Amino acid sequence: MTPSSTTDGPARIPGQRAAVIWGVLATILVVVSTIGVFLIAPEDADQGIIQRIFYFHVAIAIASLIAFAVACVAGILYLRSRDERWDDVGEASIRIGLLFSVLVVITGSIWAKASWGTWWVWSDPRLVTYLIVVLIYAAYFVLRSSAEDDRKMRYSAIYAIAGFASVPLSFYSVRVAESFVHPVVFTSSGANMPGTMLWWFIVSQAAMIALFIALLEVDLLGRRSERALRRLAMRLESA
Amino acid sequence: MALVRKDLRLELRTRETIVAMVLFAIVMLAILQFGFGTRDDDLTRFVGGLMWVTLAFTAVLGVGRSYVAEREQRVLDGLLVSPVPRTVMLGAKAIAIFLYMTAVEIVVIPLVGVFFVKGPYWDAIGWIAIAAVLANICIALSGTLFSGLALFTRARDLILPVLFLPALVPVVIAGAGATHAVAGGPHDMSEWRGYCLFLLAYAILFALVSVATYDAVFDD
Repeated sequence: MTPSSTTDGPARIPGQRAAVIWGVLATILVVVSTIGVFLIAPEDADQGIIQRIFYFHVAIAIASLIAFAVACVAGILYLRSRDERWDDVGEASIRIGLLFSVLVVITGSIWAKASWGTWWVWSDPRLVTYLIVVLIYAAYFVLRSSAEDDRKMRYSAIYAIAGFASVPLSFYSVRVAESFVHPVVFTSSGANMPGTMLWWFIVSQAAMIALFIALLEVDLLGRRSERALRRLAMRLESA
Repeated sequence: MALVRKDLRLELRTRETIVAMVLFAIVMLAILQFGFGTRDDDLTRFVGGLMWVTLAFTAVLGVGRSYVAEREQRVLDGLLVSPVPRTVMLGAKAIAIFLYMTAVEIVVIPLVGVFFVKGPYWDAIGWIAIAAVLANICIALSGTLFSGLALFTRARDLILPVLFLPALVPVVIAGAGATHAVAGGPHDMSEWRGYCLFLLAYAILFALVSVATYDAVFDD
């Protein structure tokens, strides 16, 4: 049903159902993972309760990378099609990815305080990397706000691609000669944790990905509603 | 090559960009020395940071100036309607930025040794130069792309550092790391090699991204 059709019941914006479904799914998964992480998952023998932040810290980090990857793909698709819907997807993904990255830095900092007694550890490559990632993607919004119309969308798409190329570079640059203090949980030989912990990590990860998709759908729905309202206002003015 | 010659001829007529960049770099070195809050003659441990913080900020200055002639003298309009492929424009601009940075480094790299290092710096200068050449390629490629993006934005002088510096952080880390590895005390060639390989990877990745997206930068 199109936004302007009002003959058979209330108008519905495309994507409304998807936003509701993902919103409900994300809520259920976040609640289940919070209960599981705090009440069911076993406590880490070395780190105690603070280790539980790992379930959210790592899951949000991975979800933020997925968000930036989505923005990069949306950028490529925008440059190919010049369809502004891809610009919407790109901007919304980076907005959510940036929010998640800030949360990664905050949760990482809390973990650093509990584990190493200090809020910030420059020798921890992952924490430093995420700070760089936050700076890279914060600049996206500065660029967006200073360009107009077609240029804004084009420049945003190019920056989303270049920004995503910078992410692995940032990751590797802080690792080339670092002494690692960060606990390494996932190695090339598999996950370095017992089965129950891994299970709850997977649930947390699914919750964060569902949360990303739900936020993305809600953001896109907001934009579509705004456009539909603008169209309606124009139609009313011309009537 | 004609486009590179055009940039260099414009620069050689006035010499304003290179002279300003070199002066800026020397002032930066002095400020950094005072900023440490010590008048210690031997800052060997910090040689990588001193050099690459200076070069990164100087790069922002140079990259910011790189399209000024085109914009102010409407050369860009002519270039955009001419049949010159965008990738050729990208290559020409990147070569010009590379040469600007090389000119600055010819002054800065020895000066850092004179000002701050009391160790065996001069033996390592060749290794530092190799890392600097690789870093210059990274700066030239990413600088050309980001200055193109900032060119038609409002407050472009403000936008460029905000876009360019975060992308330059890995280059600073690797440049400073490579310099520290050979001149900052440890003399660790495997570490130097690791940082140089990283710079090479950065250059290749940004070359691909720039070539793939540069068409769209000027697609007006």
